[in-house]
Amino acid sequence: MVTLKIDGKIIQAREGTMVLEAARQMNINIPAICHHEAVEPWGGCRLCLVEITHDDWGGWSGLVTSCLYPVEEGLIVTTASPKVIETRKTIIDLLLARYPGSPRIQELAREYGIEKTSYVPDVGRDNCILCGLCVRLCAGMGMAAISTAGRGAAKEISTPLQEAPEDCIGCGVCHKNCPTMNIPMQDKNGVRTIWNRKFELIRCSACGKAHITREHAEYLCEHQDLPPEYFETCDQCKRLENADRFAAIVKW
Amino acid sequence: MLLRLHVTPKRCIGCRTCELACAFSHSVTLHPSKSRVFVHKCGDEVFIPMVCLQCDEAACVMACPVEALTRNEQTGAVEVNDEKCVRCMACVAACPFGNMHYDEVKVKVIKCDLCGGDPLCAKFCPTQTLEYKS
Repeated sequence: MVTLKIDGKIIQAREGTMVLEAARQMNINIPAICHHEAVEPWGGCRLCLVEITHDDWGGWSGLVTSCLYPVEEGLIVTTASPKVIETRKTIIDLLLARYPGSPRIQELAREYGIEKTSYVPDVGRDNCILCGLCVRLCAGMGMAAISTAGRGAAKEISTPLQEAPEDCIGCGVCHKNCPTMNIPMQDKNGVRTIWNRKFELIRCSACGKAHITREHAEYLCEHQDLPPEYFETCDQCKRLENADRFAAIVKW
Repeated sequence: MLLRLHVTPKRCIGCRTCELACAFSHSVTLHPSKSRVFVHKCGDEVFIPMVCLQCDEAACVMACPVEALTRNEQTGAVEVNDEKCVRCMACVAACPFGNMHYDEVKVKVIKCDLCGGDPLCAKFCPTQTLEYKS
């Protein structure tokens, strides 16, 4: 365990814990768009920056992204110093110029009192803020069906060769966790459409409700060692079936 | 000795107090749809309270790709870490008893967490259908 100070509070954290994680355990809020506990930190959005210093550093202090900075013995962290707020505001201002239509960025800008970007807004873009969360979550699911493509201003999230991804199982994790809700997914008539690929949804054998893609169920059976019959009926029908089964035992 | 939630359906009178106690303790609304326990009426006089059995080899835990479901060693309950959950719904689809639920309003997976070691459904059950004992 190491002891450090965050916003004047002395806290203890496990070695290897990142400053952001340690602060959140103490209910200290640091904004971060690209962070998700299920995957490794990435430092993509830069919003989680904090000011750090140490008694042994002779008065030197610096700005670091807290999601990537491991805790250290005697570290003194300030999460909302004037320097941090000013730099964070600049980042939000830049993000707002690049993605003026993104509700998440607009909300952050309002929170930090930025009404209008001081740069030239890049109108006509989609709302992808290139935080890479979808890519990392997809890899975390064991798929890696999507990736970042291109460099610099042309960087984007894309499928291999911009075609319908072969490795995708249609689990919808990228869609559900996108902070700007920029990845479209549609479930219609038992078919899920995502990344220009259509997936057949398994219909519950009892009520007909479409509940999981066949590819996702097959993946779970193969990799997580679950029997295929677990996915034949939806959760509600499974509960009813089991209740009937238990009732038969009770009556008997 | 680890305590377990025992269900004796023979004693159940179908009053659904457990559903209300669960809904109230977890969501501060008395709406039974927010409950983790559901009482099913099977036939004329048989009521079966369906609640998570905290399986030893739990399908939900096996299905989770990011280890967001872990067992609380103190209570024996399998708990969801909302910060880690990626909402892939694998656990909901995998549970063979249908006892994993999805709250579409709060956009999160919900399951019985044994109220952190003091399940209110058992506390409020007037007929001891639900009992928390060793």
